[in-house]
Amino acid sequence: MRIRRLLIPALLCAAVPAGAQQRGNDHGSVVIIMGQEPSTPIPTLLNGSANIAVSDLLFLRLARPGPGLTTTEERSFEPQLARSWSRRDSLTLVFEMDPRARWHDGVPVTARDVVTSFARVRDSTVDPQRALLLRYLASVIAENEHRVVVKFRRAYPGQFYDASFHVQPLPAHLVEQIPRGRAFANSEYVKNPVGNGPYRWVRRDPGRQLELQANPGFFLGPPKLDRVVFLTAQDPEAQMNLLLDGTADLFEAVPPVSGPVRLARSPTTRLLTVPSLSVLYLLINQRAPGDRERPHPILGDVEVRRALAMGLDRLNLARSTYGRFALPAEAPAAQAHWTRGLVPGGPGYQPAAARALLARRGWVDRDGDGVLEKNGVPLVLRLSVPATSATRAIMAPQVQEQLRRIGIRVEIVRLDFPVFIQRRNKGDFELDLSVANMDPSPSGIVQSWSCAGRAGSNVAWYCNAALDSLLDRTIYTGDGNEKSWRSAYAMIQADVPAVFLASPANSIAVHTRYRNVSFRPESLYGDLWRWSVDPGRRIARDGAGAPSR
Amino acid sequence: MIRWILRRLLQAAATLVVVVLLLFVLMRLAPGDPLARLVGDRDLAPGEIELLRERYGVGRPVLVQLRSFLAGAARGDLGVSIEHYPDRVTSLLASRLPATLLLGGVVLLLNFTLGIWLGVRQAVRRGSRFDRWTGRLALTAYAMPGFWLGLVLVAFVSLRWQLLPAAQMTDPMLPPDADLGTRLVDLLRHLALPALTLSLTSIALTMRHQRAAMLSVFRLDYVTAARARGLPESQVRWGHAWRNTLVPMLTLLGLWLPILVSGSVFVESVFNWPGLGSLAAQAIASRDYPVLLGTAMLVSGAVVLAGLLADLGYALVDPRVRPS
Amino acid sequence: MIGSLRDLLRRSWRHSSGRWGVLALTLLILVAAFGPLALPDPAAIPDAVAGATPPSAGHPMGTDQLNRDLLSRVVNGARISLSVAALAVLLSLTLGTLVGLVAGYAGGWVDAILMRGVDAALAIPRLFVLLLLLVVWERIPLGALIIVLGTTGWFATSRLVRGEVLRLRHEPFVLASEALGAPGWRTMTRHLLPNAAGPLLVAATLGVGDVILLEAGLSFLGLGVQPPTPSWGGMVLEARPLIVTAPWAALFPGAAIVATVLAVNLLGDALQAALDPRSA
Repeated sequence: MRIRRLLIPALLCAAVPAGAQQRGNDHGSVVIIMGQEPSTPIPTLLNGSANIAVSDLLFLRLARPGPGLTTTEERSFEPQLARSWSRRDSLTLVFEMDPRARWHDGVPVTARDVVTSFARVRDSTVDPQRALLLRYLASVIAENEHRVVVKFRRAYPGQFYDASFHVQPLPAHLVEQIPRGRAFANSEYVKNPVGNGPYRWVRRDPGRQLELQANPGFFLGPPKLDRVVFLTAQDPEAQMNLLLDGTADLFEAVPPVSGPVRLARSPTTRLLTVPSLSVLYLLINQRAPGDRERPHPILGDVEVRRALAMGLDRLNLARSTYGRFALPAEAPAAQAHWTRGLVPGGPGYQPAAARALLARRGWVDRDGDGVLEKNGVPLVLRLSVPATSATRAIMAPQVQEQLRRIGIRVEIVRLDFPVFIQRRNKGDFELDLSVANMDPSPSGIVQSWSCAGRAGSNVAWYCNAALDSLLDRTIYTGDGNEKSWRSAYAMIQADVPAVFLASPANSIAVHTRYRNVSFRPESLYGDLWRWSVDPGRRIARDGAGAPSR
Repeated sequence: MIRWILRRLLQAAATLVVVVLLLFVLMRLAPGDPLARLVGDRDLAPGEIELLRERYGVGRPVLVQLRSFLAGAARGDLGVSIEHYPDRVTSLLASRLPATLLLGGVVLLLNFTLGIWLGVRQAVRRGSRFDRWTGRLALTAYAMPGFWLGLVLVAFVSLRWQLLPAAQMTDPMLPPDADLGTRLVDLLRHLALPALTLSLTSIALTMRHQRAAMLSVFRLDYVTAARARGLPESQVRWGHAWRNTLVPMLTLLGLWLPILVSGSVFVESVFNWPGLGSLAAQAIASRDYPVLLGTAMLVSGAVVLAGLLADLGYALVDPRVRPS
Repeated sequence: MIGSLRDLLRRSWRHSSGRWGVLALTLLILVAAFGPLALPDPAAIPDAVAGATPPSAGHPMGTDQLNRDLLSRVVNGARISLSVAALAVLLSLTLGTLVGLVAGYAGGWVDAILMRGVDAALAIPRLFVLLLLLVVWERIPLGALIIVLGTTGWFATSRLVRGEVLRLRHEPFVLASEALGAPGWRTMTRHLLPNAAGPLLVAATLGVGDVILLEAGLSFLGLGVQPPTPSWGGMVLEARPLIVTAPWAALFPGAAIVATVLAVNLLGDALQAALDPRSA
């Protein structure tokens, strides 16, 4: 499959030099550039991919999906906190925890930690997104110190994924007493979190960097990279400069078109491609901006949205923004999802048909200014874009230009990132170029595209009851199969809640001195603890050993 | 004399008050009440919103707002940042001031030493090819936008030829136990390009001022007299003529500050130099109005102070200016 | 007045740098006015996938990151930059002259308050005033930009005009015509403007250079001319990520700024020299 074809080069790079590193000190450090600051990398407070990436180094799950991300097959998962698992019946899973697992303060990880953490996550006031994904969970019980029994209300293929992926257990002995909500966010625990993963917390320098140190007693094997530093740099220029002048070793968001050219000049950096779980789409607000009770006067009309979809040349947009790193997308299915091949082909780029469709709905250019009108109202739409995104900076003007050709005037509104997110969450936008980092399982689709998701990431309040029941049947019953996924994607395409544009891959720049390098689409730095440094190529900061205080 | 100093001080204080008033007017003039943005665009708890409303008088009548604004300015309390909530604006400014002072100081030094030397040389060789061509080169540099020159320098010197670092003030990965020498070298390497950019784009001013001042002094009788006495040319030039250009050059110091500050907004943001300029640039990007207002107030205050010091300096240097 | 202006221009033509300035500026204005008619649409994106391409026969300045013809964008940007600067300076001149006249003639309280205000306004660096006014807009209309630029640049002009008024009001011919019954201010204005025309012209010319740099800077910060309208500062901003791989995308717009401001400053210098030959 395509996924395996893309992963094999990455794994090969790791496999080939593996034999050479046995002698000599292969320990080192790694400095990673982050575009947004990971200020709260703690489960139940994870917002944004930066926080998620860091928390994967601090906190483990019961099990994690295997490299192929076939999330409906139990056998493909890899043990983490759980050493083994079994089934009692079609509704019950049993996890045997690994007795070697310990929190960073030495206390063993037990079933009680898992049970209390599940209780927290299922509280919809704490984490509404995940509570939604776990709604068919009946109970989570600790049968003894190391056995967790998870019972479901329904039998469906994604049970194991739901039981293992959404909850990263927190230490009950430290967290139980802290009330949920704001008190937790401001608590001492969050300022100095204690996890159970391969890395432990050292300190955070707000706005600048975050430092982690290897956990030498990590039960799955001591990490060879002793020190991990996350440097925050929001400006795309600053990011590339930090990489190119040797201050940083790793950067996951290399600009897809200009980046490879610049990196080609650097002998110490190489570029790896990892299929990602992102989908880039033009989100259409079907509600009036700022007043969700009323429909949007222009975009509430499904034919207008279809015209928008036909007026955008996805192939060109994907190629010009991402170069060879992206495939055009027609539905919310990313490159790494196993359902990728089940997306039906859409109407494609047909500007003439788009114009004709708009004309049929009454949008005509009477005054010859190039912009269509209907009842005196011009077809003008605002496109919100976060100011620091290099890819949006390339895509937005093209969207503007392509839609101009079918008579729609698009005004680009550049917003600072926090303001962009705020407005988006409040539904105060008309068009929005969003990048969604989806869950490893395509079942995560319900968070953004179902009626229940309106409490969470479904910021445009798209709600189609027929789609909801189809998704429910596809994901949460034994009847779900490829055919029903196909119908679900086709229904989304017909509704056009968004114009799906591209599914990009991650273009990651890594320093050439690292060995055993591998990445996971759902957790980029999840394998960092297996990396090592070529003993002959260590640099000054690799010898740092103990972290600075 | 004391009375004169006091009067100047009072004048400066009055100017400061007017500055604060003007800034308040500016704030009210800006469309879409920027203080209301404080509570609109950020994710704050209702309690925090109330606090901010209280503090800034959002939604209160204009005079109430003005009063709390003036009172705040007098106390030295410039409010709270929107983006780095709840950090105070004054503490943000204080944390960034040293970097800008360092950069500004070095630029001033470079500019004045080189600019003065070149300006004097131009005046002495008036009309020559040197005079004309240095003048043209300086003028060309003056026409360059600071952000553009900075980018070009970064592209070639840092990125292509890898001679100097491209951004920031220090190497973030410098070990904490590094000795003073290493730190100093690191600092100088990071300082070089931003200082060069700011100096080049404004050296024309210093050169012109110095040249014009020297030319007007050369015409004076005592210079001819000094030459007639047989003094060596260098002594005439530097000992007598140049000394007398100090007074007009002092006025330049007063002009300098606004130019330096404006230029540093661009240059510091291109080089990610952690000073007031890049703070302002970030505040622009994040629409952090209190920080921008606070920076404007600080800078204006500095300009008034610089003007006052220049005047006092004048009085010290030139006895004719002092009131009898 | 016309006579003295013509005289001034003739004297500045004698300056070689003045000549260059006038020629370059005239060429720039002609290109800005008529160039866009002969060049492709600056917003057209022929083939976005090709991205930035180096200068070639079809694209003498190459293309930018979205494969738009750079020459066309630079020339259209010239139109925008020059007209914004000209209009803003015109506004500044008008405001400054008015305030200077009022302050100089009225004297007393009015003068004191106005001049104290001007002093304070001069203490706030112009860039910051602009930032505080512009940062709250989401999309800045071009007209608003011009007005904001114009209303922040009149302070020095008002001082200049006020100085002239003060100098002239005690001149014998003003007192004489007042004695004859003609109101003092009318005489003054008739005699004032010709006298002040020279310095005002110099100030205006140099002011145009300042505004062009300011507008480019604002566009670089995202607060000036809004895309897709081409502006030189905005082009440098967009070309920033490509500075190493496609330097022409940032070099040409920047060079255009340098050339224009240089031409304007040379002209201003020549006018200044013609006014006051001792400073040459």
